Amino acid sequence: MSVLELANTSRWYGNVVAVNDVSMRIGPGVTGLLGPNGAGKTTLIAMMSGFLAPSAGTVTLDGDPVWANVSIYRSIGLVPEREASFGYLSGRQFVRANAELHKLSAPGAATDRALDIVEMAEPADRLISTYSKGMRQRIKLAAALVHDPSVLLLDEPFNGVDPRQRMHLMELLTRMGGEGRTVLFSSHILEEVEQIARHIEVVVSGRHAASGDFGAIRRLMTDRPNVYLVRSSDDRRLATVLMGADSVSGVQLEPRGGVQVQVTDFGAFALALPRLAQEHRISLREVTPTDESLESVFAYLVSA
Amino acid sequence: MNATISRLALQSLFGQKRWWVLIALPLLQIGLAVLVRVLSGGETGGAFEPVLVVFGLGLVLPLVALLVTTGVLGPEIDDGSIVYLLSKPISRYVVALSKLLVAVVVTVVLGAGSLVVAGLILEPSEPGQALAVGIGAAVAGTAYCAAFVMLSAISRHGMVVGLIYVLVFEGLLASWLAGLRYLSVSAFGRRIAGSLDSALEPIAGNLPLGYAWIASLVVLAAGCYVAGRRLSRFQLRGDE
Amino acid sequence: MAQPTEGPRSGVIHDIGYRPYTGPRLGTGAAARSLFVTGLLNAYGIGRSGRAKGLPMTLLAMMLVPAAIMVAVMVTLGLTEGFLDYGSYPVTLMLVIVIFVAAQAPVLFSRDLRSGAISLYLARPLPATSYALVRWASLFVAILVFIGLPVTVLYVGALTAEADVSEHTGDYLAAMVGIVLLSAVLATLSGLVAAHTRRRGLAVGVTIIALLVSTGVVSAVQAITSQQGNETAGLVVGLLSPFSLVDGVQAELLGGQSSFMVPPDTTGWGLLYLVVCLAVVAAGLWLLVRYYRKQAGR
Repeated sequence: MSVLELANTSRWYGNVVAVNDVSMRIGPGVTGLLGPNGAGKTTLIAMMSGFLAPSAGTVTLDGDPVWANVSIYRSIGLVPEREASFGYLSGRQFVRANAELHKLSAPGAATDRALDIVEMAEPADRLISTYSKGMRQRIKLAAALVHDPSVLLLDEPFNGVDPRQRMHLMELLTRMGGEGRTVLFSSHILEEVEQIARHIEVVVSGRHAASGDFGAIRRLMTDRPNVYLVRSSDDRRLATVLMGADSVSGVQLEPRGGVQVQVTDFGAFALALPRLAQEHRISLREVTPTDESLESVFAYLVSA
Repeated sequence: MNATISRLALQSLFGQKRWWVLIALPLLQIGLAVLVRVLSGGETGGAFEPVLVVFGLGLVLPLVALLVTTGVLGPEIDDGSIVYLLSKPISRYVVALSKLLVAVVVTVVLGAGSLVVAGLILEPSEPGQALAVGIGAAVAGTAYCAAFVMLSAISRHGMVVGLIYVLVFEGLLASWLAGLRYLSVSAFGRRIAGSLDSALEPIAGNLPLGYAWIASLVVLAAGCYVAGRRLSRFQLRGDE
Repeated sequence: MAQPTEGPRSGVIHDIGYRPYTGPRLGTGAAARSLFVTGLLNAYGIGRSGRAKGLPMTLLAMMLVPAAIMVAVMVTLGLTEGFLDYGSYPVTLMLVIVIFVAAQAPVLFSRDLRSGAISLYLARPLPATSYALVRWASLFVAILVFIGLPVTVLYVGALTAEADVSEHTGDYLAAMVGIVLLSAVLATLSGLVAAHTRRRGLAVGVTIIALLVSTGVVSAVQAITSQQGNETAGLVVGLLSPFSLVDGVQAELLGGQSSFMVPPDTTGWGLLYLVVCLAVVAAGLWLLVRYYRKQAGR
């Protein structure tokens, strides 16, 4: 239920290829669409929401094509990046208009519910032109949620939003994902994605660079040595000993204590480290992988 | 026909600064009629044609239609807000038609309505004339709206192209190159007005009556079709 | 670069290159001057993309071609009498002037307001009042050049065709004063429309419609009143269009010929027309400055 599928999708404008042969499945839960600026994130979201036709390949929601098919909007809620210029309407009127356009049987109740979810019930009767940026973002979200969609697409939802509202928005998205909805949001700010989306899709220069859990992705990057920080009772001696192991490609003494170890064979190292430590009577106090964060994964993917 | 879209279109026309401009021309038309009436002290026979036909039907009506129509569709396509109206399970043709309907109603009420009022002011003893002009204006106004909605759906410069059509094409060319009257919406309006009241015969121009009606309908249908199709194929060009 | 720290941690920032500007600074006068010059050039598309030059330059050519043709005719046929009227040139080419004014006023007024760059301008030492006045001045001079250049071409052509110098010079100077007034009024009106509507398409449309319709109304009503013999009404109506307004001043006070049906024929009326002209410009400038100061206050 509610799986967005892109199959060999490409989009080009004349000689410029914006999206290059991308295939991905976006299922229930929160997925982060990640990529540097110009990577094609907005193009992908436009294709997924039926506002851009793929030049090649297909984009489907549960098998139904998304392009030129207005009935899929019953299941999709879209929060575009652009500001809506409906400043002459009040927040409530705007959300209610959206509810009516979705032909909901109880638009008033749906409007109230949506406004409550985004916590905009109180300022809802003021004109949108008087709202702050964060409030406008929340109204856009309310309009996208009013028909209780199973798929939610958000294009850079955290742009220009203040920290408190960011936290609120993150919590909201996590809740939506937990309810079984398919939530996809694009961002180029890694901390946000890291906190709520375990599953990521990375696009770089129009190509699909990686997909899945970012810890798992890291482990797949076998050509890059994993880096660990090991704190022990005798760092220098440990460093000397580890350098002798086959699975280790480099050691470096950290100025603040500990040894930074570059490991080419994760499995062998996991066996070798305790054995070597015991043989040489060195107590290990801490073993931490230092480059499994999304940031390092991303940096590796982008620079590849 | 979707009532919400129509209501939103109406709110967008009158909820923003644009409404001043929309009201100005009809008021000017009525004011002009009053002024001429006052100045001529009752002998307004000769003034009917220049004030109502040349100025009213030929200038005020198309300009009102242009301002209304470009206001109802253009700005939303320009800044992408139309996405909110299109991301709904509603046929795009219905969206286009609902907006066009609002444009037509406002144009007829403001444009044709002010012409009827002006006509009654100038010639209160001959209400038939004013009504005939009003009906011709209503038909022409509808055709104008359809033509302009087509333009603003296709081009970002809908307002400028529309102005060129009204001022250059209809104003200058149609009076020099008589053949072009077959493509001039105001000529259709005049022919229809002329057919409804014998006093207006002279302004009717050399155009078959059937042609005037049919051509107006054709423009209306074409406008609906083009605007609807443009919206169905609407694409958001991502900047990435 | 990390430096090994021993003992308590402390921080230090080395001066590796950032230096504040300590050189001579030009005053706000220079800022205003350069804004003026840039605005003037931008009105003709110079300093902007190629596409931006297309319309203004085409329109300028359209203004100059009739003048050039008339000069050629004069020189070859030696006609210099009863043929040339400097004052009526703007009215004859009214449509071209109106299109230029409507199309280029948004370049100077709407563009910055729409894009938000106005907040950058207003955050600089140049006060909002000066900004508004300088922008107006750029548009004013741009229109002045637009209308004045062809008329000057006519004058120079007439001189080379050995026309009567004193008579033509008198006519030319009178017409130029009228053109200065016309440019001021057009700049004020179109500037106000462009600043308030911000959307380029709407500003163009409203300006063209307002200028052409007002002039059309004036002509129509004056036609009726001259038939009816009601002069006063015709004179009053003539105040409603910039073209007839300036034409009236020029015809009565400067001894030119009028292109409208009911020009002022007494000094009193002529002065009234002049006062209205100046009042329109003054009021418009005041409104414009007030609008920009409100923007700055935000």
